[in-house]
Amino acid sequence: MTTLSEHPIYRIQQRNGQPTGELPAVEYDLIRAHVVASLATLLISVSFGLLVASKFNFPEFLGGHAWLTWGRLRYDHTQGIFFGWLGNAFLAFFYYAVPRLANRPVWSRKLGWLLFGIWNFAVVLPGWVLVLAGFSQPLEWAEFPLVVAAFVVLAFILMVYEFVLPFLRAQLSDLYVSAWYIIGGIIFTMLAYPVGNLVPQLVPGAQGAAFSGLWIHDAVGLYVTPFALAIAYYVIPATTRRPIFSHFLSMVGFWVLFFTYPLNGTHHYVYSAIPMGAQKGAIVASAYLGMDVILVVANLLLSLRGSIGIVGKDIPLRFVWFGVVSYLLVSLQGSVQALMPINRFIHFTDWVIGHSHLAMIGFASFIALGGIAHLWQRIPGTRYNERAMNWSFWLLAGGLTLMIADLTIAGLVEAQLWNSSAPWIDSVRAVMNYWLVRTVSGLAIAAGFVLFWISLVSGPEVSAEATAAASREVSENVSAFENNDSTSHEPSFARRLSHAHVIAFGAGVGFFALSFLVLAILPGKELADEIKRVAPVAMPTLTASEQRGRVIYGREGCAYCHTEQVRFLAADVRRFGAPTEAWETKYDYPQLWGTRRIGPDLSREFNLHPQDWQLTHLFNPRLVVRDSVMPPYPWLFHGGPGQPTQEGLDVLAYLQSLGRARELSGLDQQVVASSDTSVTSDMEMASEASAKATPPTVPIAMIGGLSPSAPVLHPASNPNDLRAEVSRGGILFAANCASCHGPSGKGDGGASTSLLPKPANLTAARFSDERLSSVLWNGILGSSMPPWRQLPAEDLQALVAYIQSLSVPGVSSASQATGSLDMGKALFAGLCASCHGASGAGNGPTAGALAPSPTNFHLKKPKEERGLEVLENGVPGTAMPPWKDQLGDDQRHALVEFVRSLYGTPQENSGQ
Amino acid sequence: MINLIVIAISAIMFALLVVWWRWPAFRDWIEAPKYSMLRQERRFDGRDR
Repeated sequence: MTTLSEHPIYRIQQRNGQPTGELPAVEYDLIRAHVVASLATLLISVSFGLLVASKFNFPEFLGGHAWLTWGRLRYDHTQGIFFGWLGNAFLAFFYYAVPRLANRPVWSRKLGWLLFGIWNFAVVLPGWVLVLAGFSQPLEWAEFPLVVAAFVVLAFILMVYEFVLPFLRAQLSDLYVSAWYIIGGIIFTMLAYPVGNLVPQLVPGAQGAAFSGLWIHDAVGLYVTPFALAIAYYVIPATTRRPIFSHFLSMVGFWVLFFTYPLNGTHHYVYSAIPMGAQKGAIVASAYLGMDVILVVANLLLSLRGSIGIVGKDIPLRFVWFGVVSYLLVSLQGSVQALMPINRFIHFTDWVIGHSHLAMIGFASFIALGGIAHLWQRIPGTRYNERAMNWSFWLLAGGLTLMIADLTIAGLVEAQLWNSSAPWIDSVRAVMNYWLVRTVSGLAIAAGFVLFWISLVSGPEVSAEATAAASREVSENVSAFENNDSTSHEPSFARRLSHAHVIAFGAGVGFFALSFLVLAILPGKELADEIKRVAPVAMPTLTASEQRGRVIYGREGCAYCHTEQVRFLAADVRRFGAPTEAWETKYDYPQLWGTRRIGPDLSREFNLHPQDWQLTHLFNPRLVVRDSVMPPYPWLFHGGPGQPTQEGLDVLAYLQSLGRARELSGLDQQVVASSDTSVTSDMEMASEASAKATPPTVPIAMIGGLSPSAPVLHPASNPNDLRAEVSRGGILFAANCASCHGPSGKGDGGASTSLLPKPANLTAARFSDERLSSVLWNGILGSSMPPWRQLPAEDLQALVAYIQSLSVPGVSSASQATGSLDMGKALFAGLCASCHGASGAGNGPTAGALAPSPTNFHLKKPKEERGLEVLENGVPGTAMPPWKDQLGDDQRHALVEFVRSLYGTPQENSGQ
Repeated sequence: MINLIVIAISAIMFALLVVWWRWPAFRDWIEAPKYSMLRQERRFDGRDR
């Protein structure tokens, strides 16, 4: 085998005056400080992540404290990993590698400590505290408030001085690929981070989302990826003592990555209102990126040729190798899931959460851990404990594999249910166990990180004296080896334009400008023109209360579980209503489109739920939706759902404003009235800009309101079949209805105390098939009873059978004397007919203005005691008043007997 | 947009391949950093260990 010093190119370098002589200083204290900070912040960030994960299965866990709610912890989890863990790990590696790569020290030791202080004590620590205290911005990978973001930008400017200027000053005619990635990543992120943080605050809705999409991807692609690749390209040859397979291929990989990665951003908003040209461009760029990653990974793995056995023995290299393989997997996965046929299915699901964990742990963290372990073994005075580190590797690898498999399958389960007509909550129930497994896998990963820390602090002691002696000895050897034949000379103009300049201004500044021009500025202009053309002239803005509610909604992380964008997809439109158009978002500063759905989309919430339901749901979601995993927000209330604070009222106001502009525009009603087609095909809807200029056909009847075509569901007539239906209906009732109606249907569920009108006591009346079918299909306008028509017909039929089984016919205390009935009829005609109709069909002259509608007594037969109770007390929350002061006992009894006698008799118009 | 991406990447790749194929000296020049990196690593290891 040819040794390094014998290689012809090496000898050329020797003649050409490559760096020799005095070695630059390395800031070992700063390396150690950043390693300690990286692992400390890693463990804290992972603790945030474990709390977040466990809250999926135990949503009440620590749920009473605002600063420990899911949304805020989630912000701190990702920002802690991003800045605390990876940021510090990368900085530690830069202090180790830059002097070696540039043959110059970093700019300044003092500047280094200033950077360390800013990064940890002006960014990470205050960022965490401010987020927990409720000061944040709901922008993915930009959750720390703007005041913290300003320090991030300052830190990146300092990084330019500390790590980029040494390369510019060195005027090297050749620059190793790790240096390219360090320079490019720092310059690009210094420019992209402020744009991604600030512009969505200044540019509304869809236009802002175009900028957000860029930063979401740039955060991973131009911050995490270049720095992780810099480590991988460094550790592999430094460990094997052999050059990488091809520096040419690494250059091709670098330039294609810096060109295509920034152009990927809009693939987070496929099928959205962002112009289709930008979406398709991002998808094509994603495909190219996948090809580039194949090239990069092939080059890295080929660099292990002849040395693959070292991977098993050298643990840092094994970490890096695992990271490189994960990089290939996650990048190919990313390219595939950007494709429209795949994206329409898996987007917003846990599949994507698995993808992001594969990227941030499998790729970035494994390589960062490998880099730290590698340098820890090589800097003076530190060594790691091999046994602990080996365990750390296997715990991390095992935990991550379990997590990714689990979340990927969970995502497929969610996607399948979202594309069916199953109720949303079914998708939550279906993945509960997967979320539990995810938490368990997270525990294994956390244990792996703890062991890694232990391995660093429990390594064998290295004598400083021995280290110094060894240094002297080997330095002499190196000096002899180098021969001190440096041929320094004034650089020519061509040499002044060194590689470092090309990287900084080409890959960093140039590609940043290109991506923001073609994926944000140009589509933004197109959207602005579209909004001018399409938006209704009088579009309501948010009130002050709604605006405050929007800020609280963002602060609590609601947008990380609920999207505010109905995509141009049949499945979305069927479930939520009309696709979100750009003009609807023209007042949204910043955009809250979201990239994840744990709960349903909320962009059509206007008029969907009454106020008392919303407040009860906010106070404790499980009072109205038994299996909800949404966090409770008791700090928005004075002790109960009926006593909201001003903040609670503000959130309520904001929720009830969502979709109002579209509803008031009347666009959807016009389209429904003029079309027989329910849903346009996905591709047609999203294919061209015209899809956004022309409101698509919206099956609005699918999401709310009355449908006269409600089918009448008749329970089975065969006793055996009926028993089976009742049994099945009982299970469905317990899962979907008992939160409000109570476990035995008496209207005494957990939510009953805060809902007006109260949930019906289903044991206190007999309901006809027609009545129950209508209520299940349409819900009850003016009450918290939602439509359940998304359930399969056999489920609805089983519910009808079960509810009817709850009502055992009561024994009337009085005989139905003709005289009593006549008195009741006369009283009814005088006092009740204006609402309930002359025939008691709930269709009196004033009925149309009442919500809930007056009872149709042909379809509902209250028990006598219930009838008397209503006459005595009225029905709070409805137009039904108490009659105890106007009617005597006999009269009330007569009225009850009369309305009970109407049940099952023919009617003119059944009403509701 | 799509055309821009396809043309730009194709042009970058084609140009690099042509240069690689036509100028052997370019290969030596572009591969040089991987050796200088190792040399630096060896020098620093000698001092730090």
